Amino acid sequence: MKILVAVKQVAALEEDFEIRADGRGIDPDFLVRDLNEWDDFSLEEAVKIKEAATDPIEVVVVSVGPDEVDESLRKCLAKGADRAIRVWDDAVEGSDPVAIARILAAVAAHEAPDLLFAGVQSSDQSFAATGIATAGLLGWPHGAVVANLQYSPGAKSAVFRRELEGGLLHEVEIQCPAVLTIQAGINTPRYASLRSIKQAAARPIEVKSIADFRLDATQVGESGSLSRVRRMYVPEKGRAQLIEGSPAEQAARLAAIIREFKGVA
Amino acid sequence: MAGILVIAEQRRGELRPVSLELIAAAQELRQGGDSVAVAILGPEPQEFVAALTVAGVDEIVTIRTEVPEFDPDTFEAAAGALIAERRPAVVLVAHSVDSFGYAAALAARQGFGFASDVFKVERIDGELVATRGGYGQKVSVELDFPGRSTVLLCLRANMWKAPDPGASPNVTAFAAPAAPSRAAGRSFVEVSAADDVDMTAAEFILTIGRGVGEEAKIPQFRELADAVGATLGCSRPIADAGWLPKSRQVGQSGKTASNCQLYIAMGVSGAIQHLAGMKHVSTIVAVNSDPGASIFGVARYGIVGDIFEIAEELRKSF
Amino acid sequence: MDAVTRILFEAFPTAEIRFFYAIGYTAIGIFGYGVYVQLRKYRRGAGLALEGGLWRRFGTMSASVLNHRTIARRDQAAGGAHRLIFYGFALLFLGTSTITLQYDILEPLFGIRFWNGAFYLWFSLVLDIAGVMLVAGLVFMMVRRGWMKLPKLDYARPDRNPGDPDFDRPQYRREDWAFLWILVIIGCTGYILEAARLVWLQDRPDVWDTRWWSPVGAAIAELMRVSGLTPAAGGALRHALWWFHGLIALVLIALIPWTKGKHIFTAAASLMVRDPLAAQRLPRIPDSQQLPGVTSITDFTWKQLLHLDACTKCGRCHDACPARTVGAPLSPRDVILSLRELANSTLQAATLPDVVALDAHGKAPGQVAMETLWSCRTCMACVEICPVAVEHVPIIVQMRRKLVEEGQMEPLLQKTLQTIAKSGNSFGESKRKRSAWTKALPFPVRDARKEPVDLLWFVGDYASFDPRNQKVSQTFATLLQEAGVDFGILHDGESNAGNDIRRVGEEGLYEMLATSNISALQSAQFNSIVTTDPHSFNTIRNEYPDFGGKFTIAHYTTTLEELLAAGRLQVTKPLGYRVTFHDPCHLGRFNKGYEAPRGILKAIGCELIEMGRCRANSFCCGAGGGRIWIPDPVGSEKPAQNRMREAAAIEGLEVYVVSCPKDLTMFEDALKTTGNEGKFVVKELIELVREAVAPPLAAPAPSVVTS
Repeated sequence: MKILVAVKQVAALEEDFEIRADGRGIDPDFLVRDLNEWDDFSLEEAVKIKEAATDPIEVVVVSVGPDEVDESLRKCLAKGADRAIRVWDDAVEGSDPVAIARILAAVAAHEAPDLLFAGVQSSDQSFAATGIATAGLLGWPHGAVVANLQYSPGAKSAVFRRELEGGLLHEVEIQCPAVLTIQAGINTPRYASLRSIKQAAARPIEVKSIADFRLDATQVGESGSLSRVRRMYVPEKGRAQLIEGSPAEQAARLAAIIREFKGVA
Repeated sequence: MAGILVIAEQRRGELRPVSLELIAAAQELRQGGDSVAVAILGPEPQEFVAALTVAGVDEIVTIRTEVPEFDPDTFEAAAGALIAERRPAVVLVAHSVDSFGYAAALAARQGFGFASDVFKVERIDGELVATRGGYGQKVSVELDFPGRSTVLLCLRANMWKAPDPGASPNVTAFAAPAAPSRAAGRSFVEVSAADDVDMTAAEFILTIGRGVGEEAKIPQFRELADAVGATLGCSRPIADAGWLPKSRQVGQSGKTASNCQLYIAMGVSGAIQHLAGMKHVSTIVAVNSDPGASIFGVARYGIVGDIFEIAEELRKSF
Repeated sequence: MDAVTRILFEAFPTAEIRFFYAIGYTAIGIFGYGVYVQLRKYRRGAGLALEGGLWRRFGTMSASVLNHRTIARRDQAAGGAHRLIFYGFALLFLGTSTITLQYDILEPLFGIRFWNGAFYLWFSLVLDIAGVMLVAGLVFMMVRRGWMKLPKLDYARPDRNPGDPDFDRPQYRREDWAFLWILVIIGCTGYILEAARLVWLQDRPDVWDTRWWSPVGAAIAELMRVSGLTPAAGGALRHALWWFHGLIALVLIALIPWTKGKHIFTAAASLMVRDPLAAQRLPRIPDSQQLPGVTSITDFTWKQLLHLDACTKCGRCHDACPARTVGAPLSPRDVILSLRELANSTLQAATLPDVVALDAHGKAPGQVAMETLWSCRTCMACVEICPVAVEHVPIIVQMRRKLVEEGQMEPLLQKTLQTIAKSGNSFGESKRKRSAWTKALPFPVRDARKEPVDLLWFVGDYASFDPRNQKVSQTFATLLQEAGVDFGILHDGESNAGNDIRRVGEEGLYEMLATSNISALQSAQFNSIVTTDPHSFNTIRNEYPDFGGKFTIAHYTTTLEELLAAGRLQVTKPLGYRVTFHDPCHLGRFNKGYEAPRGILKAIGCELIEMGRCRANSFCCGAGGGRIWIPDPVGSEKPAQNRMREAAAIEGLEVYVVSCPKDLTMFEDALKTTGNEGKFVVKELIELVREAVAPPLAAPAPSVVTS
């Protein structure tokens, strides 16, 4: 029994970031990398299923990215993943979610898990597409925005609840193997102490190239993407009219806004 | 063929308002003799024809489904078949939980151009250009789709104004192919409310976010909300931590405070998921100690300061 | 005259004497077995090599025991009474040993006799006085325990609920009283016995004429004679009491290793093995250890198990603890006592029970709960005041290490640890922004990694990122500049020094931070380090050497005092404020840095009124041990509020002076929440110095909040 968890190392921008010279990306000096917040939840969900099961379950994490992604994969190993796979090729640079999905689908076809988890979206690009695109390419049943999951390992189906706008939940029964994108808040991700992460550093990460999954350069990177970045720019800053002064003065102005509103309403 | 296809959304017998916003967006992409068609799926799709009869709609396509509510396999098969027949240049769906469930899969399998969470669409030299956010909405990214005859875009809600009623569109029915549903919807579950607050009815909301720091500091804001006559709301992290009931959560997954006119956000950074619920509010006041917080980008008034100090001072005036 | 002496076992049949010796040897045997069981218990703990020579340790211990200063601290009465008991008992024991030496060894083997004549008479007098000392001390202790109702002797414990099996511990109270009574009875029966003998032998001149060399016995003998006791009756009484007194004494000796009596040895041993840097320098995790921290009672070292046995339930740590004072479920005393109960119930058995029974974590009797461990502020008030050198803080931190490894902590704390792991500071700010506070200064602050400086200033997290503390940093920079000090900082090469991370129990993260900082420091060129943060001061000074970083470091109070004394900063405006000074835990109690701040206050002309809990007894602001990242329970008093109320009681107080960034944050908050805003202000010592010395030529630009 195996659960494959696709994770992403996301990048956050530092204060004084700069756009690249070609105007289509960010200067990498200003990127701070970390494991995607949603992936903490999806990995935790997989490890919880593994720990609750009587028969052994293998939790495998996979990520597409260069060397620095190993750091995030080590964290996953420290949190209970059994194996970690990283796929990279220079040709993968510039991939959109669907190009990435193509690689993940190939890995999933090879690993043949019972469930494939991904986060609903990434905190940096928030496409909310990679997981489901992978499902489409695999041809597997899929469900997005899973806020609650009931699954017995090896079962032919699972029941989950998807979290809709407005706080409503929709209960769904899905056939397995399936792809599920996991919503934040589904569980409480465990803490990985630095010691356990350091100990995980001794464990191997399987590094693969796209050729290992019978993919070629035309299927990934820009050529394999369904969109192309034309231009990246910093939008005009916010339009908020700043209320200045001492806290007492600011609060007084706010009180006036409230009173004005209530006078009208 | 070209033209623009909009796929509307309905849930529990109600048309979701974003559907009309998609129609408005479609108008911006008309070129030449493009027509705008709106597809609606459901067990009784014809019930939505009246609501969809708005300015700019040339055709309404009803698609009867076997399943009562959204189902990824059904929708993917039906949309896929309709697109294969019509071959529209652009397909517009909402960037919503439903489309999270199928749009990317459809685009990936069929090789459509694809982008999600798009908040601006335009034609530059005849080419379709979609703009979305990047790196936590700190930058804007323009995308184009060279060589893609059909492009599927998921549009962000509350970015376009719904058109007025009008026009007299053709109404046609489309027979969707049978598709085995491998993820069958069973029932809806309401999130149990610990208190019976109705965020959807509130006109004046005071929301607290991560800036509050700890559960012990919440009573101060509860008092403040009472004092100024606002309903107390919170952002996702507060509700996830259990510090306030889920019924108080405002934002994409929380209640849409559709009647809210005055919204004060204290210690809320303005993550896009939260803002999605609040864009329509006429007056948003943001109070945050971080002058770079995204919420200052959507607020009408901003106070850069310590939320506890401001709260204290404000309390004195009521 | 044939030298006067006492004939031992006089008029005892030989069988009785033999019987007595048999009981005596049995008692010694039981005592010996008891010692064996205790030693076996300690050996079941983890190994540890002691630093420092054993003889040196023995010497220090002997001095402590003899001068009794640790027992007299903050309780002169108890110190005095215990001195009486100790010296009384010691003399009596020495006396008995002296007799045994002659009677059982020197005389039969070598024919040496010395216990007679003048020696014997002075001996008798000294021992009589010793007995008085002993009984007087014991009686005082009875009054103290029974009538004075001291809070620290109240065994009510905050870490259990009524209804828990070990909530009330009547067995402790019973043992305490039994111990006192037995000793008193031994003492009193000794005198009565002495008197009875005198009555019995009143017709012997060498006994009767020298009786006043045993004044107490003689006085009682007079009373006995006056009430009609005949010599024969006296003899019978003496015989009976001799056995009574002897048997009780032998029972007491036999039971020493099994009862409170063991503190005679364990307290001394504990003092002997003490780590003088116990809470200031925490132990590393040995490489051999699989799971970090302490899970089972056997994970504690033999030294820690010995410390557990040394505790005499004096309650000083219970009294001093700031968490306990504000009602948190932590009493250092009860942590030690619980663990001791666990050790005794599991490690004194012939075979070691299974690992489940050895678990030190939990809520069952003998275990320590999570809430208890997380309540600790690691302020070391407990370690500092303990008369028998119990080291509570390392025990708590080592148990926390296990909790951290398992992720059992408040979510906010977990988030903070993750933030620090990512960005090297607890504010989640980019490393690049660490020295943003310097931008508001009219002069650049040198980067010690790029150019050599004389003084490297290790700024710290709060002083770099917290807006209120940034102002203090800017002020300090202007003072250094004006004094002509050649100083620099590490800018973005500096990370959180790690002191509190270590005390939270995240040893892996601490190692990462320490290694990073040491590397940055070693790449920089400077002569010595100064820091405005006592927490950083403590860990760099005491703990970094264990990680390969040995530096000369001073807290800013030392530096400023020197600058003032050398005239490099001139006081132009003596302030004349009425102030009180809060000794920061990590500067004062941890590193004995009490004098420099007071020197500065004097130099700038402030009138210092000390609070009751000052210097080594300073009351922690509550932020230590990671507590600044753990929310306090709603509705309870915070330590900083408790402290503010203490300060507010000072008549006419104008300024509450602090010299630590966390203190500044906690106390400014507490000033408001205790309703003292407007009555006095909280100020950093640096700010007062700024006021008192010549103003800078150009005023610094308004400070940045964030940038």
